[in-house]
Amino acid sequence: MTEAHALKTRMATLFRRFPFLPALGMLLLLFVLNGIAEPNSMTVRALKGVASTYLALVFLSVGQTFVVYTGDIDLSVGAILSLVNVSIVVIMSQLGGEPYVVLLALLVGILIGALCGLVNGFVVSGLRMQAIVATFATSILLSGIALWVLPVAGLPAPSLFWKVYGGRSYGIPNVFFFAVVLIAILAVLAKTSMVTKLLAVGNGQLSAYQSGLSVTRIRIYGYVICGVFAALAAFCITGDTASGDPLVGGAMTLSSVAAVVLGGTALSGGIGSAFGSAIGAIIIGLISSLVFYAGIPSEWQNLAQGATILVVLMLGVLASRRINQ
Amino acid sequence: MSRLKLQQICKYYDATTALASGDLLLESGEIHVLIGANGSGKSTLCKVVAGSVRPDGGLFELNGKPVTLFGPKAARDMGICLFYQELSLANSLSVAQNINLYHLPTHAGGLVDEAELARRAEHYIDKFRKVVGENFSADTPVTKLRPDQKQLVEIMKTLASEAEILIFDEPTSALDRSQVDCFFSILRELKEEGRSIIFISHRMDEIFDIADRITVIRDGTTVSSRPINETDQATIIRDMIGEQHETAAQISVSPHDQMANAEICLKAEALGGTQLRNVGFSLARGEILGLGGLHGQGQSTLLRTLFGAKRLTTGTLELNGRLVHPASPRAAIKLGFSYVSGDRVRDGVITGRSIMENVSPIHFLKDRKFLAFPSVLSRVIEPALASLNTKYTSLGASISSLSGGNQQKVVIARWLTNPPDILLLDDPTKGIDLSAKSELFALVRKLADEGMAIILYSSEDSELLAHSDRILVFNNGSVSRELVGEDKTRFNLYQAAYSGAK
Repeated sequence: MTEAHALKTRMATLFRRFPFLPALGMLLLLFVLNGIAEPNSMTVRALKGVASTYLALVFLSVGQTFVVYTGDIDLSVGAILSLVNVSIVVIMSQLGGEPYVVLLALLVGILIGALCGLVNGFVVSGLRMQAIVATFATSILLSGIALWVLPVAGLPAPSLFWKVYGGRSYGIPNVFFFAVVLIAILAVLAKTSMVTKLLAVGNGQLSAYQSGLSVTRIRIYGYVICGVFAALAAFCITGDTASGDPLVGGAMTLSSVAAVVLGGTALSGGIGSAFGSAIGAIIIGLISSLVFYAGIPSEWQNLAQGATILVVLMLGVLASRRINQ
Repeated sequence: MSRLKLQQICKYYDATTALASGDLLLESGEIHVLIGANGSGKSTLCKVVAGSVRPDGGLFELNGKPVTLFGPKAARDMGICLFYQELSLANSLSVAQNINLYHLPTHAGGLVDEAELARRAEHYIDKFRKVVGENFSADTPVTKLRPDQKQLVEIMKTLASEAEILIFDEPTSALDRSQVDCFFSILRELKEEGRSIIFISHRMDEIFDIADRITVIRDGTTVSSRPINETDQATIIRDMIGEQHETAAQISVSPHDQMANAEICLKAEALGGTQLRNVGFSLARGEILGLGGLHGQGQSTLLRTLFGAKRLTTGTLELNGRLVHPASPRAAIKLGFSYVSGDRVRDGVITGRSIMENVSPIHFLKDRKFLAFPSVLSRVIEPALASLNTKYTSLGASISSLSGGNQQKVVIARWLTNPPDILLLDDPTKGIDLSAKSELFALVRKLADEGMAIILYSSEDSELLAHSDRILVFNNGSVSRELVGEDKTRFNLYQAAYSGAK
């Protein structure tokens, strides 16, 4: 009895330090299922395919997390991604695909992402509008700008760009290096005082205000960080599709929210981990490939995918609830 | 020169006056106690000092210079920190993070210096090491702590500000004796260092233990300020009461003597639950039983428990000679209970719907109505509204078109369509204007005369004294004194509420 209790306390402590543990378990399970359904899906080549397709969603979900920390939400991440995607592709095709032009385009892309985040933050936190409605509105606005920048999908990105993204160094696919860099960034970010402050705001805005924190400014920072990550996600998608598409990000917005929840972050704010959201995004990716490998007829694939996401979400929520009790 | 000087500070919320004229002189090396009845403006005054409430007028001088505070951050930077009565902790963060939240120690690159964070937290935890109890460490998340431990963390967080002016708004309400003693010895050390401390408590023994000076606030106005050795309990209570004489309490001549042979309708024995300890009473038909005492001593809990909205863990309830156990509001309503809350938005009004819809739900429940024509319904609803003098344009108008007082009448009318046996009033006049209040109490008295049994809790002591036949004074979840007949005076009520506080 006491031993079981001690175990539970240890589990709870562990879970509190690493809220993404249930998600990690499900990720491993999905890997195994994928391997059983199609042994070839475990090859480096296949894994590279999954990574290069879903790295964009990983970055997007990580960005979303910093907004959700404060209890807000950003429904414009997909639109920011699209805008950055078309902007850098247009810049690169206008100025030629030289390496310094690519770097300039990346810099401009990050600035656009940060600026979009600043606008969102100002509207939600400065003007005190409802986050859901306000960012939905800015998403339409940003999509409009993206369509103005590039009205038709299909403008190709310079070869340098997608060759780096899809290439290999020392025999290892470059996307894996990007993933490692992301993990390093997350490890550093998690230790910043800003994350503690974002979480404090998510625990209760009044309490945070009374504790002397600048709540308005902190929430804006959350949106800016999110915007920058959406820009990084746009670089990934540009590398993967090798072209500009003003509507590419639209469908990814809600996937990013689902990934955040899968990763153990509370939508009400105050608790969670960005690393968990990255895992959540890969889970969503693996579910799609599992459905594909399992040989489900194409007209049933959406249904199977949706049902699996629902089951995984429920398992995750139940697991964390059990541990926290 | 005083460290802090407040003169005629005022604060209004719409028509309500939270502070009319708050004065305060705070010296260095002083523990200054603020005392006043429920809602007298103590907390508002403290929040003004701490920058979280912006005053509408008055003089605010810090070290002889007039200042304006733009928010709690500005106050912190000037060396003022407040312990919030309702706590200001981030529940999912650890004890150490909460203690250091305002000044998170960081390395050069903005990363949190975990070692320094832990070291600083331990410094303040050490002060309370002997009294924090089990399962308490620097990395425990606050949500896992007991109420008294949370209160200690808020104290540590306040101390960690190392501010020159520290304000403690009811910091000891959840603490036990040893924790209070530990806290007081720390306060005395701070005083020796020359810090200025404002302290609010309702426990008289504590106040006389720690205070250097006592300032009394009544109805938003500072009425007296005396050094501790020039005052005593009776003087303070008289200052809190003011010049309203005892006659005010005798407006309604208590018919308690006749109650003895009146029919007992509700009998409670040894009721227990969260916030309730061994509460027993009997209630007769036609009687208005008042519940008094400080805020949150279990009065509201008792009413909500009787109404089935809170769980009763021990004790028995006898209704008209029959044992009952209201497990839910629905069950309680069917037994003949009714409940009107002062928190209309949470418990009463159905926002955005018409007056008719707001009056009819109980009628539907009790008469097992499934369908009803508006014309039939209005024959039930109109008399109920009329008996309360409710002013409205039409039954179809939205409830939000009415004033607070008229909204409350609509909520009461809801119960009058099918009159209950017992009416539970939970601070029913909160935020209602004076004329609506007097109409409301006239109706309550009329209902009692017609034989309804009524339990009234009011946060305004004068209402309680004027309109109840008998008063049970609550303290920490149990009844500490019953005031009947000639004993039913404001002085006795305050004495029982404050001196009896443990």
